[in-house]
Amino acid sequence: MVSTALPGMRRIEHVMGMPIVIDLRDDDAAEDLLDRAFDEFRAVDERFSTYKQTSEITRLNRGELALADAHADVREILSRCEDLRRETRGYFDARAAGTPGLDPSGLVKGWSVERVSNLLAELEARNYAINAGGDVIVRGRGLPDDCWRVGIQHPAMDDKVAAVVVAGDLAIATSGAYARGDHIIDPHTGGPPAGVLSVTITGPSLATADAYATAAFAMGTAGPAWTARLRGYEAMTILADGRVLKTPRFPSS
Amino acid sequence: MRRNLTVVLAVVALTVPSAEAMAAVTVPKAAAKKIVVSMKTFTGSLGRADRWGDVQVTIVVKKTTTTTGTKKTVKRHIESIKVPVYPDHTGRSVFISEQALPRLIQEALQAQSTHIYIVSGATYTSDAFGQSLQAAITKEKAW
Repeated sequence: MVSTALPGMRRIEHVMGMPIVIDLRDDDAAEDLLDRAFDEFRAVDERFSTYKQTSEITRLNRGELALADAHADVREILSRCEDLRRETRGYFDARAAGTPGLDPSGLVKGWSVERVSNLLAELEARNYAINAGGDVIVRGRGLPDDCWRVGIQHPAMDDKVAAVVVAGDLAIATSGAYARGDHIIDPHTGGPPAGVLSVTITGPSLATADAYATAAFAMGTAGPAWTARLRGYEAMTILADGRVLKTPRFPSS
Repeated sequence: MRRNLTVVLAVVALTVPSAEAMAAVTVPKAAAKKIVVSMKTFTGSLGRADRWGDVQVTIVVKKTTTTTGTKKTVKRHIESIKVPVYPDHTGRSVFISEQALPRLIQEALQAQSTHIYIVSGATYTSDAFGQSLQAAITKEKAW
């Protein structure tokens, strides 16, 4: 692989406890574009981190900040968490993330990537991919003559992909049990979901796709039927017995 | 889901439906061995299946014909099954396609030799990143 053949610039930084990769494929981008993009991720982290004592979420949970006085972004996120909790019948729940109080991190991650993607577009970037700990937004093309190709991590083999999504403008989120052990629990049983290795959701919004993937994964083997009813979002579920269930327009090659 | 699948496959077995050719690929091999791979889509007729409403199933069959001299062997394999899950609230049928993981791995392996730039996976933390496929790709396309 001749690395110099790729147009644009790439950078990885660790923010919010995860690696964030921005892969910009425009040759004419402004010098400080990636600086500004990562500054935005850090600003979101300052406001939303459950680990930072000064964040608005921490202060809300300690009762030091009233919801009405919180930043408009915080109120928007918490309101979307509540909508998604209802839509997913409680399988996506910012209040059940293992800590007392609110933990909207599951939505904040995708939302922050959307926000940075919009920032890049405002700054006239056209072809780029952002990958925040496995949640991905792609825009434009990977190369002038090639679409973006996004590998979906194989849940059983670290160095393999289970499918390849070919896309122009798309958000892709995957939930599974393999990366950090059983970190998703079924909020209705308190235990890890059974029978499912991973769920990938594609669609226009990364925050929504991520919440749907979390919820569908937590539903276990009932997840695929639920994903078949989603409007505007497509799903691929890999079951523990090796079956792969896809909605009809899931964009894999 | 499983019960539904059983019902639906029975429908296919009963009706030998008209076939529509999707693709035919000829792969020439050495020593007069000829392999022809063709894919066909079969659509079963509408069947009534209790509360699922009208049920119609589509299967994709891959036929591999190997000819070595005068010896001809034919292998058929169901590549994918498309079954309705249930009609949604607007009455529109909602479908799920089923495939087996090993076949996908093959496809993915072929695709891997082309360009994969980004990997979507269950949340990897900074600690886990070093072992991830994304890290390997990031390194490979390194700046």
